[in-house]
Amino acid sequence: MHHVIIGNSAAGIRAAETLRYLDPVSDISIISEEDIHAYSRCLLPDFLAGSRSEREIYFRPEDFYARNRIQTIFGSKAESIDPEQRRVLLDDGTRLSYDKLLIATGASSTLPPIPGIDSPNVFGLRHLRDARNILKACAKARRVVIIGAGFVGLEAATALYRQGLEVTVVEKMPQILPQQFDTLAADIILQDIQAEGIRFVLGRGIKEISPPSVWGRIFSNPGCGVVLEDGTRLKAEVIIIAAGTRPNVEVALSAGIKINRGIPVNDFMETNVPHIYAAGDVAETKDVVTGQTGLTPIWPNASAQGRTAAYNMVGHPKAYGGMIGLQNAVEFRDVPAIAMGISRPAGADYQVLSSYHPEKNRYKKLVLLNDRLVGMILVGDIHQAGIYGALIKNKASVSRFNDLLLRDDFSYGYLAT
Amino acid sequence: MKQIMVDVERCNGCLTCTLACSAAHSLTDTIVAAMAAKTPARIQVMPVKGKAVPLMCRHCEEPACVDACMAGAMQKDPVTGIVTNEGNEQACVGCWMCIMACPYGAVTQHPNGKTALKCDRCRGRETPACVESCPNNALRFVEVGEFAAEKAAKTAVSQLTGT
Amino acid sequence: MSSCQTCPSSDTCYSAHNSTNDMYERTTKLGIPTIFDRWEAQQPQCGFGMQGICCQLCSHGPCRITQKADRGICGATADTIVARNLVRLTSHGAAAYSHHLEELAKTLKATAQGKTPFKIGDEKKLRDIAAVVGLDATKSTADLAIALADIILSELRKGSEEPLALLDLFAPPTRKEAWEKLGVIPGGVLSEIRDALTKTMSNIDTDPIDLLLTAVRLSIATGYMGLVGTTTLQDILLGTPSLTNSEADLGVIDPATVNIVAHGHVPLVATAVLQAIQDPELNKLARQAGAEGIKVYGSMCTGQELMQRSAGSARGFAGQLSNWLSQEYYVATGAVDLVMMDMNCSIPGLKTVADHFHTKLVSVDRILRMEGVEDHVDYEPEKVAEQARQLVKMAIDTYKKRGQNIYIPEYKAKAVAGFGVETIVRALGGSLDPLLDAVKANQIRGIAAVVGCTNNRNGQDFKGLAIMREFIKHNVLVIAAGCMSSAAEIEGLTDPAAAELCGDSLKDVCKALGIPPVLNFGSCVDIGRIGVAVTEIAGALGVDPSQLPVVASAPEYLEQKAVADGIFAVSFGLLTHIGPVPPVTGSELVTKILTDDIAQLLGGKVLVQEDPVKAAEEMIAHIDAKRSSLGI
Repeated sequence: MHHVIIGNSAAGIRAAETLRYLDPVSDISIISEEDIHAYSRCLLPDFLAGSRSEREIYFRPEDFYARNRIQTIFGSKAESIDPEQRRVLLDDGTRLSYDKLLIATGASSTLPPIPGIDSPNVFGLRHLRDARNILKACAKARRVVIIGAGFVGLEAATALYRQGLEVTVVEKMPQILPQQFDTLAADIILQDIQAEGIRFVLGRGIKEISPPSVWGRIFSNPGCGVVLEDGTRLKAEVIIIAAGTRPNVEVALSAGIKINRGIPVNDFMETNVPHIYAAGDVAETKDVVTGQTGLTPIWPNASAQGRTAAYNMVGHPKAYGGMIGLQNAVEFRDVPAIAMGISRPAGADYQVLSSYHPEKNRYKKLVLLNDRLVGMILVGDIHQAGIYGALIKNKASVSRFNDLLLRDDFSYGYLAT
Repeated sequence: MKQIMVDVERCNGCLTCTLACSAAHSLTDTIVAAMAAKTPARIQVMPVKGKAVPLMCRHCEEPACVDACMAGAMQKDPVTGIVTNEGNEQACVGCWMCIMACPYGAVTQHPNGKTALKCDRCRGRETPACVESCPNNALRFVEVGEFAAEKAAKTAVSQLTGT
Repeated sequence: MSSCQTCPSSDTCYSAHNSTNDMYERTTKLGIPTIFDRWEAQQPQCGFGMQGICCQLCSHGPCRITQKADRGICGATADTIVARNLVRLTSHGAAAYSHHLEELAKTLKATAQGKTPFKIGDEKKLRDIAAVVGLDATKSTADLAIALADIILSELRKGSEEPLALLDLFAPPTRKEAWEKLGVIPGGVLSEIRDALTKTMSNIDTDPIDLLLTAVRLSIATGYMGLVGTTTLQDILLGTPSLTNSEADLGVIDPATVNIVAHGHVPLVATAVLQAIQDPELNKLARQAGAEGIKVYGSMCTGQELMQRSAGSARGFAGQLSNWLSQEYYVATGAVDLVMMDMNCSIPGLKTVADHFHTKLVSVDRILRMEGVEDHVDYEPEKVAEQARQLVKMAIDTYKKRGQNIYIPEYKAKAVAGFGVETIVRALGGSLDPLLDAVKANQIRGIAAVVGCTNNRNGQDFKGLAIMREFIKHNVLVIAAGCMSSAAEIEGLTDPAAAELCGDSLKDVCKALGIPPVLNFGSCVDIGRIGVAVTEIAGALGVDPSQLPVVASAPEYLEQKAVADGIFAVSFGLLTHIGPVPPVTGSELVTKILTDDIAQLLGGKVLVQEDPVKAAEEMIAHIDAKRSSLGI
């Protein structure tokens, strides 16, 4: 039996170690384009900030592959899959046979189609090499512009600010973290980051990136300009694009696997092609809150999907319980915040409970639908996130303690007793 | 595998377990020193409608906190079953994903604000400190099956006798 | 509060008073932690302490009684520990009341010697009492006052083997008989306290029964000295209360004036301050500072003392703010310039709130100190006129620092105060008979004294108010004292208009007499006044207090004075409802004695019932049983 995994991050690694735990004898191979030990993309900002070295962002011990007897095929790209022959074709021409295949190829930074996007010193932030390149470019830089005030953009902003750079974040929506946080929560977090000294331009998208002038290139000072929709120009030596990601579905396409945005899978993490599974940022699973199938590109879900896929690959049928598609924890400076599920409800059917204590930078918002918790935002005090998450995930009726939900001492105890 | 089991009815909210927990995780293993050093407790006793309810990590079979950990710090030891983010090669960064993931609210922020804090079942101590300290026997360190059987017997008796 | 069963909304609501809830919202917004926040932070609370089975006396401790340890290290059982803790609580209460009485006796003496700004306020009462204690009636008023003060001081200090003379003179004979049988006739209070504290040291008195008898003894000493004695001396010195209209709740605060709050229990300095603010010179200073005048408000029991005498020695009193739980909230209005804190019930949290505003806290009693409070104007009878002026000047100075962030809740209620035996007799045309007739005719089903503190365990005043409303609905006349008086005032129950809330027959009585269904007897020390009233009624009917259709309830007891009060009420023969559950439940023996067996010995017993409606029901059943025994 040969289990092949394409991808060496959360879903791939969690799948590999689970496979080995369940099946001590079969062969396991991991194919990865990057020639490096499994590292945590989520820790790239810490690497950028200089607070963690390359080794310190590994999320498994250095003997992980050896101890788990996993064959590593690193530095090779999986070009295509032949589902008939059950073979993966690598970019060096090698053909790798599999019995079960897991596609855990993750996602890539989306680069907006604007003029100048291919200028030097314009980077995404997805891979370790991006981070290395950014650091190299920053060594000679003073100003950084970050496009996108989502999670990655803000993490990068704080990291580089700590490296001593002048950082400006540009976001086309009128608030930061527009995906998950409402304006009030976003504003509290914004105040916190601004207090650090980072500048923000909100509500304006970018029109183009003007490449460095000839003189700039001659004096190896490749300062770019960022031109905003309204014509404002921002100068910067380094530009980071953090405007979202798209799933890496190319290799799946070659196998004739059904693709939406990502690869839709069933409860057993199976694609529509036999023996091929998908997990992680590339997979589309059912969101437990909305019931919709879609991408859930966050670490905990990727891990759980990888783990579930492994069970099914070894023949222990196990259904993916379903996760909350949208959930994230952030802490850029002093104020931790977590958002989950339908955190910005639209419609009269939803009931919103909230409390806001500006003096403590604390905000709590719970969204209910038909006596069930479907979403929440916690800012400042996040200790109850897990219990609210469990209520959301389990679709538990909260009518029994509706009036107690907002209390700061609401705990698992209310469910257990 | 032994687990810390809670008999909520027996808990009277004295918080001795939280003190014992702090002490067991302090340098000197004494309550007084732990309080002086502000060593935090890893278990909580929460009020629920006037009743004290101890809440602690169950060291789950498939821990959501381990899935959530993007640093690889939170791990479940395959031999002891202990789930902890301490003592591993990978260090906790305090991203709070585990806090978000734990359905029992058993993971908290360390007061240092930098790392997550949770029960490590006193790492190899024969009986966890909280269990040892409980004056009411509300906490017990037993095989899960044993506890469940006892509970079931108790429930049966109370149903039969109508008490 | 989370354990509250009073109403469905009380899980999210902290006080029965809109004003205090408003203010809590304000302190929350301002980020000022107050008592409701600290209460939350203390949850859950230790079950050993709750049951009274924790002993910290010796260095072997702390010991607690558990399933595996039925005795402390010394061998003490739960019964011993619980009873011993109870005696210690009672000792504290007895000591505090004694302090109050001693201040009064000293002041009476100094006044008679012409050294204070006070004048003997009720010469008739002085002469009546002097006659009872056997003083020479031909003496001058001043000499009688001095002699009476000396008697009180010597009664306080004499040995525990010398029976209290005041008890012998004032207690109903049937009570004395019962107490004598039990051997609990006390001697001098201070000696009794010494004995009790000695007994409750480790390994001296470890017999739970003897300890409980000690608590009874202490409480009887407290009843006749700290309660009846203090009330009587206060009446002699400051005048016996008379019916008067006043106002209560935070809405009485006037943002335009220099505002002084008299907070605590001993109304002496406060009375002097009320005299001082009549001084045109001080008023001129206040106007120069930009204020329209100077006002003195009451808080807690000092406020009650002033309110009930506001037609006399406390003329100019500007109204009652609230009770114990609201002290931080009136400071948080931002419009209080000075709080003068006399004897007890000034919480340390008050300073935290005062620090957010300009408010100056001043202790006016040598035994009161608070961390961070540096201004002490410790009461001295001979200097109090000057001390009062000093306090007013401090308030004017502080007024100048008042900030702009002021919020005064709009709520206030009309309150009638000044009830007591004398006012009732006067209102009834010179005799108690009309009242007794109404009781006999079942127009008034019975009388319930709802007294004592306020307590956040079930939210401020929820239970007390629920019980009072339940009583009057069932035609039981309520007498209130202490923090429960403030609760009733704020919610309009001491306004004659509250007759509408009564059952039909009580409504008729109230309307005919123009009285409210909750008679405001004053401060917590005025439980003594209630004792006197019940003694009068028992005497008039020729029965023992335990035979009367009378009950007592301290539905929200908080501190140690209330423990002494509660045990006194039981010893006096009354069914005494106590809430929240006192820390005795860890001992089956003590619990059973207090809630059951003691009735055979003393006539009264403790009723523990957390549900206010059920508690009222049970007390009304007791009243009905007493009525039928009396054949009325």
